[in-house]
Amino acid sequence: MGEPAPDVNSMGSLPYIVLGGYLLMLLAFGIAGWRKSTDSEEDYYLAGRGQGWIVSALTIMATFFSSFALLGAPGMVYRDGVVFALFSLNVPLAGASVYFFGAKIRRIGQARGYVTPGDMISDYYGSPTALRLLVALIGVLYAIPYVVMQIKAGGILSQQMFPGENSFEIGAIVLSIITMIYIMIGGMRSVAWTDVVQGILLMGGMLIGGLAVVTVLGGPGAFFTKVAELPPKSLSVPGTSGFWNPEMLLTVCLFGSIGSLVQPAQWMRFYAAKSTGTLRQSALIFGVALTACFLFGVMLVGLGGQVLYPLVDAAGEYYTNADGKLLPNPAVGDTPGGFNDIMVVVLKERLPTLLGSFGALVASLIMVAIMAAAMSTADSNLHSMSAVLTRDIYDRFLRPKASQKERTWVGRGIISLATIVSTVLVIIAHRSEVDPLAMIATLGLFAIAFSSQLLPVTFDMLYIRKGTKEGAVAGMITGLAIVFFISPFMSLDLGQGIADMRKAMLGMIDKGAWGLIGNVLVFIAVSKFTKPIDKARIEEFAKVADSDS
Amino acid sequence: MSSVEREKRGKLGRLLAVVFVIALILGPGPGLRLINPDINDPNAAFTLFGLPKVYAWGLFWYGVELVIILTAYFKVWRGDDGDRATDEPKETSHG
Repeated sequence: MGEPAPDVNSMGSLPYIVLGGYLLMLLAFGIAGWRKSTDSEEDYYLAGRGQGWIVSALTIMATFFSSFALLGAPGMVYRDGVVFALFSLNVPLAGASVYFFGAKIRRIGQARGYVTPGDMISDYYGSPTALRLLVALIGVLYAIPYVVMQIKAGGILSQQMFPGENSFEIGAIVLSIITMIYIMIGGMRSVAWTDVVQGILLMGGMLIGGLAVVTVLGGPGAFFTKVAELPPKSLSVPGTSGFWNPEMLLTVCLFGSIGSLVQPAQWMRFYAAKSTGTLRQSALIFGVALTACFLFGVMLVGLGGQVLYPLVDAAGEYYTNADGKLLPNPAVGDTPGGFNDIMVVVLKERLPTLLGSFGALVASLIMVAIMAAAMSTADSNLHSMSAVLTRDIYDRFLRPKASQKERTWVGRGIISLATIVSTVLVIIAHRSEVDPLAMIATLGLFAIAFSSQLLPVTFDMLYIRKGTKEGAVAGMITGLAIVFFISPFMSLDLGQGIADMRKAMLGMIDKGAWGLIGNVLVFIAVSKFTKPIDKARIEEFAKVADSDS
Repeated sequence: MSSVEREKRGKLGRLLAVVFVIALILGPGPGLRLINPDINDPNAAFTLFGLPKVYAWGLFWYGVELVIILTAYFKVWRGDDGDRATDEPKETSHG
């Protein structure tokens, strides 16, 4: 059995004060961003392309780390044990990718005035319609699940902190509205400035969360002694659920990092960076500091959670539901999605008891960090989705002669519409008996599987330069089709044989990897037999991309 | 930057990339099988230096990745430092 639960778990009014102060600060940043902004589209979407290294590093990090970092990841370690802590090793790769992809994307984007990924990809391959639309589709397919999971995190947090009728819905709606307001009024500048604060909170929250759990269990020595007594499945591969075989873990690490770094919101942050040096410094901070926040911070929360709230009952049997799916300890939750709550439960129930009002303050700050993690990713994705839909669809196909001011307002309209739709989706799913959006981690990996389909064209455009327009289009369509086919959300009845094949594929490697394999093979094959891209254009791009500026 | 220096940097960059890929394959990838304790073996050791073995394995490969990134930062990425400040937005601000 775990540690005895404390008698007192009240945090008083501190969470309200800390959270209220934080939300007011965000609105102030929104107004400050608006005061400094101009009516130009480039300013609204890229903050005038002048972001320095501190803002760039923190906005790239805050966009990369979502509620997944503070809820999903410890939740997954709580469910599967130490194996998922190794997911942290994707972060140095993500850091290296900031430089590897970002430096070249920035140079080309700066030289040619691009705003969205679609601008660059469609221009390079000479495909103003098909590729632009496909890239826009990928942008939306990535952004919606990511925004949905951040809003859901706001609901989870509210439900745990302020239990009561409709507390989930209220939390989700408050997070959505505040985020929507400051993006709409301040654009990229407000998003990036709030990301700086949110990034600092996020890193602090990850480290302090780990430290808090280690403290609760009596310090590092006692912590690891108790962890060593966990069930063998929690200390080995493939983990409690049996899902995390090494191939799965490796492919999720690969695509979780690189796939997340070529998604539209990050791509736009590369465009917005002031210099290549800015991205070099961002890459270093990202790869070094953030991995430490994961390995020495938040991942320990999941392990400590297994000690405090064991997954097995007194008879040594795992808690499961009627379908045989693993469940958390009843004190944490009663559905498979309840694993996500481990961080909040530990903080709320253990820290104030151990450290008194100081513990309550620390717990409140980490709760705000969770909110910050969710908002910093939601704002970036809503903002980039607005850019993608405005630049790549509205400007090109609906109203090519619209003024910059009109486009910016259309972008704001898209942000509000996407926010409302995502919030409604979250609330409907939460109220349904079988919550289809149960695990935050699953939702995140699904979104990344889509954005990973941009990798072949990105890599080809920046480094190889052998692909053709037809190859790029065919590869992307193939990749997307495969991801749709094997996604857990695909419910078409295609017969037992196909269902078995899907299940086997899902159990082997990450779904994004399957999509990417198909994407790359088709991209290469079709490129072999179709007309190469104009040599002058390739040289023009290469000259800028490979320069030392 | 001279072509000799550029070539040297390129070579080191490729070497670091290869070591990084190896670190990924061994760290969170199939290399895990080298140290993974067998849950059916009653004598299996689940810890190393007091830490869960799988976690200790992860820490080691984090160290390797750290060295690679620092080397790349100081030796390979170093030449691309030219800051090119952008023009200030030309339109009137709201402030």
